[in-house]
Amino acid sequence: MCIMVMKRKSDKRGQLKIQQMAFMLMAITLFFVLVGMFVLVIKFSGLKESATELEEKNAMLLVTKLANSPEFSCGGAFGSNRINCVDADKAMMLKENMHKYINFWGVSNIEIRKIYPKADSDVICNLGNYPDCNIIKMRPKEITGYDMSNFISLCRKEFSGDEVYDKCELAKIMVSYEKK
Amino acid sequence: MKQKKTKKGQEEMVGFGLIIIIVAIILLVFLGFSLRKSQKEVVEDYEIDSFVQAFLQYTTDCQDNLEYLSIQKLIFDCNTGEECLDGRETCKVLNSALIGVVEESWKVGGDRPVKGYELKINVNEEEMLFLTEGNITNNYRGSAEYLPKEIDIYFTVYY
Repeated sequence: MCIMVMKRKSDKRGQLKIQQMAFMLMAITLFFVLVGMFVLVIKFSGLKESATELEEKNAMLLVTKLANSPEFSCGGAFGSNRINCVDADKAMMLKENMHKYINFWGVSNIEIRKIYPKADSDVICNLGNYPDCNIIKMRPKEITGYDMSNFISLCRKEFSGDEVYDKCELAKIMVSYEKK
Repeated sequence: MKQKKTKKGQEEMVGFGLIIIIVAIILLVFLGFSLRKSQKEVVEDYEIDSFVQAFLQYTTDCQDNLEYLSIQKLIFDCNTGEECLDGRETCKVLNSALIGVVEESWKVGGDRPVKGYELKINVNEEEMLFLTEGNITNNYRGSAEYLPKEIDIYFTVYY
């Protein structure tokens, strides 16, 4: 009889211990879940910002190398190889064939704007008014979102009487990305 | 017996509390590390470098027997005291071309990001040309370009 009572008592104590452990495990799990959720919320709230930051950095890197890419660079057309030199004639032809280059650079637009000599008004270049214009827009849409720019030398072949000479002007190349 | 049980329960509570505190501290440290923003990378100042390289290629209206001269060639000719085909002094043409180029490229003002700039062209460490506008501040970026014949170009922009 006495042994039976003792056994029942120790069983009850064991159950209590198990219950205690189960509660503690639940509490710890709940605690970790809450903390995890808190961390996730904080991390994901900055995700959009970091994506924009990354794109801005990408635009900056692209704009530094774009002028020296084969699609834009002067190459050997204006004497020795020049750095940061864009062939305006090449850029105009590229503009006409821009549909073949959609998603090539992963940007929404590329624009070349003459800075000096300063023009009286903004004239967008097309095959009809070139070179008496000051803005070469690779795509007709406006620059939206954010953009990065870099100084370039915009060179072309110019006539002076019967002679042809190299004329280089100061310009800025702008790369724009859509805001996400 | 009862006192022993209470003591045991208290010990367990303290242990549980300690575990919670240790875990919380570890998580806080981890959170602190993950939230600490990575130090902003030092971005190479490509814009000023590119500007100097681009303006050196700018074709001026000064002509010699062969061609219209670029600013770079004008610097060399100014150094040797030569004249344009139309009789103008190369140094004067260089000066006016540089003023135009820099003024149009870097708009200076109190309400603008650029507060001032300095352009210096040295030959054999002696000043050949010096252009300045706006205010000198402690926040500046610059570029140096070294040409043959000991010609050095320094351009500094103050923000």
